[in-house]
Amino acid sequence: SATAAAFIHEIRGSGPKRPRSEDTARQTLSLLRKIIAHGRWGWAGELMDLIRTEGQRMTAAQPSETTVGNMVRRVLKVIREEYGRLHGRSEESDQQDSLHKLLTSGGLSEDFSTPYPSLRANVIEAINELLIELEGTTDNIAMQALEHIHSNEVIMTIGYSRTVEAFLKEAARKRKFQVIVAECAPFCQGHEMAVRLSKENIETTVMSDAAIFAVMSRVNKVIIGTKTILANGALIAVSGTHTLALAAKHHSTPLIVCAPMFKLSPQFPNEEDSFHKFVSPQEVLPFTEGEILAKTNVHCPVFDYVPPELITLFISNIGGNAPSYIYRLMSELYHPDDYEL
Amino acid sequence: MAARGTAKRAAGAGAARGSEPQEEPPPPLQAVLVADSFNRRFFPISKDRPRALLPMANVAMIDYTLEFLTATGVEETFVFCCWKSAEIKEHLQRSKWCRHTSPNTVRFVTSELYRSLGDVLRDVDAKSLVRSDFILVTGDVVSNLNVSRALEEHKLRRKMEKNVSVMTMIFKESSPGHHARCKEDDIVIAMDSATNRVLHYQRTQGLKRFRFPMSLFQNSIENVEVRHDLLDCHISICSPQVAELFTDNFDYQTRDDFVRGLLVNEEILGNQIHMHVTTEEYGAHICNLLMYEAVCSDIIRRWVYPLTPEMNFTDDKNQSYTHSKHNIYRGVDVSLGHGSMLKENVLIGQGTVIGSNCSIMNSVIGQNCRIGNEVTLDGAFLWDGVHIADNVQIQHSVICDEAEVKEKVKLKPHCVLSSQVVVGPDITLSEGTVISLHPPDEEEEDDDQFSDDSGVNKEESKVKLKGYNKKDVGSEGRGYLWKADDKNEDDEEQRQSLWGPAMLSEEESESDSDLSMGSEEPDSRAASPQLDDIKVFQNEVLGTLQRGEEENISCDNLVLEINSLKYAYNISLNEMMQVLSKVILEFPLQQLDANLDSQNYFSALLPLLKNWTPLFKNYIKRSSDHLNALFAIEEFFLEHDSLCTSIAKVLMTFYQLEILEEDVILNWFSLRDTSDKGKQLRKNQRVSPRSVEFIVRVCVLQQLLEGTAEFNATVTFCGAAAVAQ
Repeated sequence: SATAAAFIHEIRGSGPKRPRSEDTARQTLSLLRKIIAHGRWGWAGELMDLIRTEGQRMTAAQPSETTVGNMVRRVLKVIREEYGRLHGRSEESDQQDSLHKLLTSGGLSEDFSTPYPSLRANVIEAINELLIELEGTTDNIAMQALEHIHSNEVIMTIGYSRTVEAFLKEAARKRKFQVIVAECAPFCQGHEMAVRLSKENIETTVMSDAAIFAVMSRVNKVIIGTKTILANGALIAVSGTHTLALAAKHHSTPLIVCAPMFKLSPQFPNEEDSFHKFVSPQEVLPFTEGEILAKTNVHCPVFDYVPPELITLFISNIGGNAPSYIYRLMSELYHPDDYEL
Repeated sequence: MAARGTAKRAAGAGAARGSEPQEEPPPPLQAVLVADSFNRRFFPISKDRPRALLPMANVAMIDYTLEFLTATGVEETFVFCCWKSAEIKEHLQRSKWCRHTSPNTVRFVTSELYRSLGDVLRDVDAKSLVRSDFILVTGDVVSNLNVSRALEEHKLRRKMEKNVSVMTMIFKESSPGHHARCKEDDIVIAMDSATNRVLHYQRTQGLKRFRFPMSLFQNSIENVEVRHDLLDCHISICSPQVAELFTDNFDYQTRDDFVRGLLVNEEILGNQIHMHVTTEEYGAHICNLLMYEAVCSDIIRRWVYPLTPEMNFTDDKNQSYTHSKHNIYRGVDVSLGHGSMLKENVLIGQGTVIGSNCSIMNSVIGQNCRIGNEVTLDGAFLWDGVHIADNVQIQHSVICDEAEVKEKVKLKPHCVLSSQVVVGPDITLSEGTVISLHPPDEEEEDDDQFSDDSGVNKEESKVKLKGYNKKDVGSEGRGYLWKADDKNEDDEEQRQSLWGPAMLSEEESESDSDLSMGSEEPDSRAASPQLDDIKVFQNEVLGTLQRGEEENISCDNLVLEINSLKYAYNISLNEMMQVLSKVILEFPLQQLDANLDSQNYFSALLPLLKNWTPLFKNYIKRSSDHLNALFAIEEFFLEHDSLCTSIAKVLMTFYQLEILEEDVILNWFSLRDTSDKGKQLRKNQRVSPRSVEFIVRVCVLQQLLEGTAEFNATVTFCGAAAVAQ
């Protein structure tokens, strides 16, 4: 439909500005809700196929926007659950089967072919719940701030993240601490972050990315946001984060990642290509440079890959977790059959 | 319709729209896309495929233009096609633009009769297609611009001053020498920095110096910016008036005509043109193959993000690519042989097979190509279905659909093989070779004034099919050589037409030469103003007199004109005298023939002198004027040795017409020696028997003069003597 086309158009980045992950998540959900409400389908299996094809189209349009795929998977899981409930399955069996059960069950897989008239309403209801859950994610994360930030600490962050901003602001209401922001060239979102924090009377310092290692010895904690959490607990985050994480590791400074659960993606980093996002080199070497541009190759990557061993803790809307626990969260959020769309 | 509205808001394209909910909704944004270039620059390539459908990084140019329009919030696009309109229509109908989900409704207007952009816009007006401001682009614009800001500014301007501003042109900042700056399109613009109004617009091709009217800097505008760092994106936001203006002025053919006409008549019509400069976004117009190459490589290097190949914005299944390091893009089912290297900036279309040990960089390879072993491609643009055999080397060349290059062929830079051509084996094509299946003379037959891509009949060419020249295309080759770079200037120029800057369509070259003529004068003036003002003045006086002679203008009027010239160039009376004498004496030479002998010269001069007596009388009043005139006469005859015998006659005529007085002539004789010697010394080459003779004769004359009281008689005598000799 036209809405889907417009949405695809936007996540491609053709729109005026880069979308926020939370907005993308919400838009994906409302789009899927619309498809479920108005789409032509008779039973759950058909609906899942419909959602899957639409999801494939949307994820293919911009593979680096993993949120879209994540929300599609969440919706698929919701459909499975609602179908299971109507099908008269217990909550228990809905959970991932144990190895023993898998061995004994004899390959009994569901075909989702029984039509239930109430399925449509139930699924839409569940999606509405998801939407409400989305609303509260940033607040849920920010609420945990006081457990992690103590008085007179020096916190380092990089670039601009709405979640981190909320997190720090929440802590600043009770505690006094200092924040150092790496500017995150070439887009320098760090400047915006610093401006916003200093408006809340947080003592803020902006520095260039090159100074990260030098300053790290004075820092008590590194708190960053991310674009995506991968299945192995690694990050796809704004470029410059890897440098920061390595410096933190060297100085044994804890690295805390604030990220809502919808950023958790069941993909592994071996699908390297899909996470690349190179934008126009304009910011690195402006078009006005003239002659030299014909002779040089200029790249402007947006994201870094940060391996899981550099990360101390994830703070999500459902609490703090170590990278090694990510696999468990994933199996709670998504159905294993949906990992591959 | 409602769905479309929400879609737009979701896309965020109408950022401005959200802020003014109370006002009535603005009419949908419309665009006029001209899918024809109205020139033959891309011949012979565009014989097989209209320019708008030429693939840029495997996607037709028109798709980029439409994507740009859609992304910027256009809801209705009129596509005007002429040359091969059916193909364009078919292409678009298959594309996503004609699906019902498209936020941009595409409508076709086709006619064989369009000869220029002017015709198209007149048609827009006649059919009253546009209701409000619209975007005007050609079908070969690649851009990721968002014009909404420029559009807002445009609308604001039109609101503030009712309908004064008719057009906003969009430029991209880029310094001279940038590879995406087309030499043909280089411009110099003077603008009012406060209002972004265009004050002066000039193409700079072929000009070394630029001339700006003084009025530009004399009027009340506070800051005038003169800019040469702009790239014309060929995107303009036009008000409906633009179409009307094209109707009113049926001689406007191109946008340039329009801009120039509007700027010239600004005070009369009261219309203004404004501009918008973007620094961050990309916009370029493909007008020749060099630009094609430059823009292609910009797409591959991601300058046009998000219109990069892996985005697959056309939503075509065959066009999905993966992007990996060093800007390597790979389609589906691409196979790469053992040892082959994709170095950097390579795009490979679906289903292409590449052999072993190939080295490929900075290239675009279309779909379903077959490339052999040990092939080197650098800057090659292969379209779909190209076959390349083993051991081929290709540099900076374009190879069109289903062409075939056999073993061991080498293509030097700037070669073009058009559709289905076969070359080789074992041949080297020199730089700038163009080979096509269409015989080149075919073009001359239907050479038509308007130089548009108008009908060339395929059947016709089949009928007079000649054998292929094996020397040009190799023993198994198929195709005719179009232009080879064989040190022939003519050919060189033609080669440039496809690739480079020198080519111009007829009308353009005309206007350009006009401009360069105009620039000649300030040229010399700038070098050393004092001296050259006189030269310019001299030319002007000559022109005036010529006109006076031809049209029989009365001397009074001539005096008036010369006076005004005198003030214009700030010429002193002394200089004025010298110039005038010189011009009149040179006049017969200019008019008739440079090698007149003295007899004919004088007979030609005499009536002129008689005619223009009042002219001299007007200027020669004081005795110093007389002297100056005499010096000028002397100088002229020194410069024209062959005519020196007639000096006496000339002097006599001057005396008889009562222009010069007797006393002054005598006075002049007494001064003569020193000045003449000085001159002799200065110009060594002048020491010829002739000039010596001249001086001798003048001395004789002087002696004679001293002896006789009756000057008149003497001069007559002297003249007779000269004639006798």
